[in-house]
Amino acid sequence: MSHNPPRLARQFFEWVCGSAKVDDLLGDLDEWFYLHVKTKPPLRAKLWYWKQVLSLSFSYTIRKRKRDAKTGLYSSSTLSFDMLQNYIKIAVRNLYQYKYFSVLNVFGLAIGMSVSLLLIALITYIKTYDNFHTNKDHIYTIVSERTEGVEQRMYATVPVVLAEKLEQHPDVHKAVRIQAGFLEEVKQSNGSLPIRGYYVEPNFLEIFTYDITQGNSAAALTKPNSIIITESAARKIFNSTEVLGKTLEMEHGGLLEIGAVMKDHPVNSHLAFEVLVSYATLPQSKASVADQWMNYGKEYIYVLLKEDRSIEELQTYLNTIAQNTYKQLPIKAIFDIQHLSDITMGPDYRQAIGPKWEASGMIVFMIIAAMILLPACFNYTNISIARALKRAKEIGLRKTMGGVKEQIFFQFITETVVITLISLAGAILIFFLIRSEFQSMMVASSSLDLSLTGKTILWFFLFALATGIFAGIFPAFYFGRLNPIQALKSKINGRSSAMRIRKVLTVFQFALSFGFILSLIVFSRQYQYSIGFDFGFTKNNIVNVPLQGVEPQLVKSEFSQLAQVQSITFSSDVLGLGFSDAWVKNSEKDSLEVAQVFVDKNFLSTFGLTLLAGSNFPEETWQRERFIIVNEEFLKAYKIEQPMDAIGRTFQVDSTQLEVIGVLKNFHFAPLRFPISKFFFRMHPQRFAYAHVTVRTDDAFTLFTQLEGRWKNLSERKMEARFFEDDLNESYSWYQTLLKIIGFLGLLALTISMLGMLGMVVYTSETRAKEVSIRKVMGATVPNLALLLSKDYLKLMLWAIVFAVPVTAYLLQLILPQIQYYNVTLKVWDVLISTVVLILIGLATVTSQTYKTARINPAETLRAE
Amino acid sequence: MKVYLGEFEELVLLTIATLGNEAYGVSIQQDIEARCHRSISIGALHSTITRLEEKSFLKSWMGGATQERGGRSKRYYEITQAGKKAVTEAKDLRDELWDLSKIKLSVR
Repeated sequence: MSHNPPRLARQFFEWVCGSAKVDDLLGDLDEWFYLHVKTKPPLRAKLWYWKQVLSLSFSYTIRKRKRDAKTGLYSSSTLSFDMLQNYIKIAVRNLYQYKYFSVLNVFGLAIGMSVSLLLIALITYIKTYDNFHTNKDHIYTIVSERTEGVEQRMYATVPVVLAEKLEQHPDVHKAVRIQAGFLEEVKQSNGSLPIRGYYVEPNFLEIFTYDITQGNSAAALTKPNSIIITESAARKIFNSTEVLGKTLEMEHGGLLEIGAVMKDHPVNSHLAFEVLVSYATLPQSKASVADQWMNYGKEYIYVLLKEDRSIEELQTYLNTIAQNTYKQLPIKAIFDIQHLSDITMGPDYRQAIGPKWEASGMIVFMIIAAMILLPACFNYTNISIARALKRAKEIGLRKTMGGVKEQIFFQFITETVVITLISLAGAILIFFLIRSEFQSMMVASSSLDLSLTGKTILWFFLFALATGIFAGIFPAFYFGRLNPIQALKSKINGRSSAMRIRKVLTVFQFALSFGFILSLIVFSRQYQYSIGFDFGFTKNNIVNVPLQGVEPQLVKSEFSQLAQVQSITFSSDVLGLGFSDAWVKNSEKDSLEVAQVFVDKNFLSTFGLTLLAGSNFPEETWQRERFIIVNEEFLKAYKIEQPMDAIGRTFQVDSTQLEVIGVLKNFHFAPLRFPISKFFFRMHPQRFAYAHVTVRTDDAFTLFTQLEGRWKNLSERKMEARFFEDDLNESYSWYQTLLKIIGFLGLLALTISMLGMLGMVVYTSETRAKEVSIRKVMGATVPNLALLLSKDYLKLMLWAIVFAVPVTAYLLQLILPQIQYYNVTLKVWDVLISTVVLILIGLATVTSQTYKTARINPAETLRAE
Repeated sequence: MKVYLGEFEELVLLTIATLGNEAYGVSIQQDIEARCHRSISIGALHSTITRLEEKSFLKSWMGGATQERGGRSKRYYEITQAGKKAVTEAKDLRDELWDLSKIKLSVR
């Protein structure tokens, strides 16, 4: 019997090869098979056949032949520069021909990219932090992870006693101790100037690179009471940089001699100071060794490693030290090594020495930037696919002439990149407009410089490229897969899935805009609510004057001579803004933390606080502290039912026994961020820091000049009096910044979604022009037609609102209590107003186009038939 | 541009040259296997042939069909001018090295 080649193998091979021409190979295989059958057992021959089929299937020959089969007679598989030129030319011609869509696309993408540009400029700049130090690759800081009870926290600080141990390690070249707590006021002939800096050891300047212009820096940091001053600080105090050898007199005592002058350090540094004070100036620590290891606020250590050493060994060494040291101590700490370049935009350590830009904040910013950028990209995708019909003939022709899928893909990516690059120019323009406003909102704006550098521009460019590829990838795939026959016949089907995606994207955009509008309304209500909040005390006609160390009785006698002044009272903290804490011991219970404010006896009447039981503090024959006046929450904490029952009870506050003399109705002694908690007033004149002057006047200006005149008799410092109401309102003014940000982002999101919708409306109006004309001939009115064309979009907006309301409501419910305990809740009115705003803006956008289409004379569009 | 020619590539080119008008898949493989006593797979042979075609050292045309091939046609290969130049260069290089050899290489 005759044997034939295995059929399955051949079918497999034909399946692998697809449309490639492999007749000759199959022939070769058969020929071999028949040769083998003559000499070998048939099974061996079949096995051989299989083996060869597999070897061929994965060979280069088949790959190449398959590729050849796909491409037409004239196609070239390589991307040539000439084709790229052609793509760009076609892209520019298309941009020019469809000006309206080009403007929409460019405008939308420019807005979308602008926020991202801010982010890129910010990150690029932050990445340059501390790169000016010559030793930057080998500088490390030591950070600590502190465990107190169950609380575990990461600190940028470490006990300075650790430095001695570090210096003993063979890998460490140098170590420097820094104490960041230098915050002083320099006495001037007319008042004082604040100045801040670090206490540092002499080798600070050997580890870090700073430019000393005058004096002996090593000596300046070795001698006690000697400082190095920056040029700008010198100019601030002396109006000159020739200050070598001069002395500064501190407000809190002490003279500091200027031993050297240095150029201002670059702002892109996590170390920010005006002066460096010699470490020897600090008094010798009297704390026990254990205390030195346990309490280490504001103490930092930086080390310079030897060039060829890595941190592993040092880390093990630090682990051993931490283990041995904290074995016997109530708190535990471990030490970690952090490279200089990881400090900025690194993990969030507490008590950072200077500006640090947390990574978490950057992530929030990134999400916001993406929320603005993505809708803009969607718009482009939407409009491109919707307009596929216009380009179908061109693509069909290209494909017929030998253009392959990859080439069409590349063409459309190129086209999108051209558009994004044009948009980049617009985005940079917007970037310039919003940059300064953005900078003023940043906390550490003084250490930020967002001017364009070569590097930033390069990143902008790469970002635009990436955006172009992202926005263009979907249309490019879509066009690449078009069937040339259908495309040439202008019969593009299978658009229903694309249509659905488009609708989903549009709904998402509207939902985002709606979310911003709704948040804007809710937050502005929250702001109004906070300002108009009834704190439970009077806030009108009271002027707060910080005492700044002046004796309260003197202030009283000076100010009470003024006619407008009705009464004066004193306190340690301003109500509604600040308070301190005390520990209350009670025989029944453990210690409780209770908020406190020190006041005098006029305080209650001045601020209109209501006593529920008991009486005010007695007449001021003050020898020692005896009484407290508590609030209702305090009673609750100690389970005292009736206010009357509390009177006369004593509590051990810190270390003194105090008797309850009165009970007050609850009021908001703390900012609205916090709930009302246990609280009492105490009386202790030495703690007074503010005078509260009740005034009776309409002329604030005269009042303040008169107060200032009196103040001059008391102190050399500037009077810092302010109306209490202004003080309170000011503490909520950050809402204005928040509203500005939300408003701006909302405006961007809204503009982008409206641009996207405009594109879609223009497109549908174009394609339905004939339908509209026929309807008009048959008797439809202009409003009828406008409604017909707008209906779909109205529906999309309503869908968006339906989706956005629960999401936004949920997020607001999550965020609002976080930022303020006493907050507003989402009301139906908020949703209604937002809905009306979105629908009105949307309808205005849509009808501007549909109305135009509806009004066209039918003769004009129908004439062509 | 000097084109690198691998050992197997050179072998295939020369074999095609020796086969003259009868160089197609099966005959090339038979010749190489018989002459070099080594077994090669069809996939490996055709990959090399395809690469040589891409370098334009070979050209091919479709020939007639025979019964033992299941009625399928053969693809015949022929060495091109560029191919001839490439093998010549390879030979020249070898000859030069043989001539320059300081020791007696031939062990026949």
